[in-house]
Amino acid sequence: MKILTCPLNGPRNIAEFTYGGQVKPMPNPTEATDQEWAHYVFYGDNHIGVVREWWMHTPSSYWFIVERHNQTDEVMRTYDPAELFDPGASPATEPVEADS
Amino acid sequence: MPSLNLDPAGLPILAGLWHLDGATARHDAVAWGYAKGATQRGVELHQLTEVTGVDIEAGRVTGVQTNRGKVSCGCVVQAVSGLSAEVSRMAGFQLPIVAYPLQAMVTQPVKPFLDPHVSSSALHCYVHQTSRGEIVIGGGSDPYPLYGTRSTLELKEGLIASAVEMFPFMSEMRLMRQWAGITDMTSDYSPIMGLSPVENYYLDAGWGTWGFKATPICGVTMAEVVASGGKVPDLIAPFSLDRFDAFRQVNEMGATAASH
Repeated sequence: MKILTCPLNGPRNIAEFTYGGQVKPMPNPTEATDQEWAHYVFYGDNHIGVVREWWMHTPSSYWFIVERHNQTDEVMRTYDPAELFDPGASPATEPVEADS
Repeated sequence: MPSLNLDPAGLPILAGLWHLDGATARHDAVAWGYAKGATQRGVELHQLTEVTGVDIEAGRVTGVQTNRGKVSCGCVVQAVSGLSAEVSRMAGFQLPIVAYPLQAMVTQPVKPFLDPHVSSSALHCYVHQTSRGEIVIGGGSDPYPLYGTRSTLELKEGLIASAVEMFPFMSEMRLMRQWAGITDMTSDYSPIMGLSPVENYYLDAGWGTWGFKATPICGVTMAEVVASGGKVPDLIAPFSLDRFDAFRQVNEMGATAASH
């Protein structure tokens, strides 16, 4: 059984989690062109290496960030999104670039 | 249907679809058949040759770098299945593709009992028996992206639970072999065929879990693209890469059917 450590609920069976896609900066929806928005919706890196992703602990509906190697499936780190996003900011805010 | 449980997982079977013209084919035999036919017609196949780079000059591809040297070219058709996004990076552009593993497994061989391929869209599981007697079990892709091809216990547990619901006697059987392949999934579950941002670099990618069935027509049509110097036939025009920029996704009915 694979175990993923939820920052809120601790180590849990991976079957309790839902994958939510790559973390990527969202363009401002009121200012972005259709093409910029399409690129945000459809394109991602999909590059072999360590990726930063959204995951949800499904029973508690808690969303958090996972840093994972997408070839070995090794999880480097899991943490609350407050580390990347200012909780008081508008949804169009870009994530704070940590050491990448 | 002999041995089929008509009340699998508390989801009684009320009706079924019988595809009269449906069939299965031995995929490795088909692949070797194509390889043999192509080489007899003068095509060179280089096994164990990894693409390591793509040479682009003024928006045109001029050659492909490999671990065994450079191949100069007049054009390139990129048809690399699971690694489409990685190879397109070498050519300098992104693809709207995410790589997911697709896993399957076979049991030890038993006497023939199952002729058709049986698929449950409710359980996301299919079962068929090969000419060697093995029972093939498969279903949907993994729940999250991965470039690894190692089989997982989670998927085996889930798939086998569904297969045993469909054919309860299979609980007495042993698994013999398991495997995973990387599939390149697009958001509309349809392939990307035709032109790319590089002028003479053509794409045949994003086939996800169902490329095998379309291989013959796909080969002929991509050959037309090459022979005409990049004129895209009407047949594949809806599958162009730029459909995503225009929010013109393909409305593929098969995409709602989960498993094959």
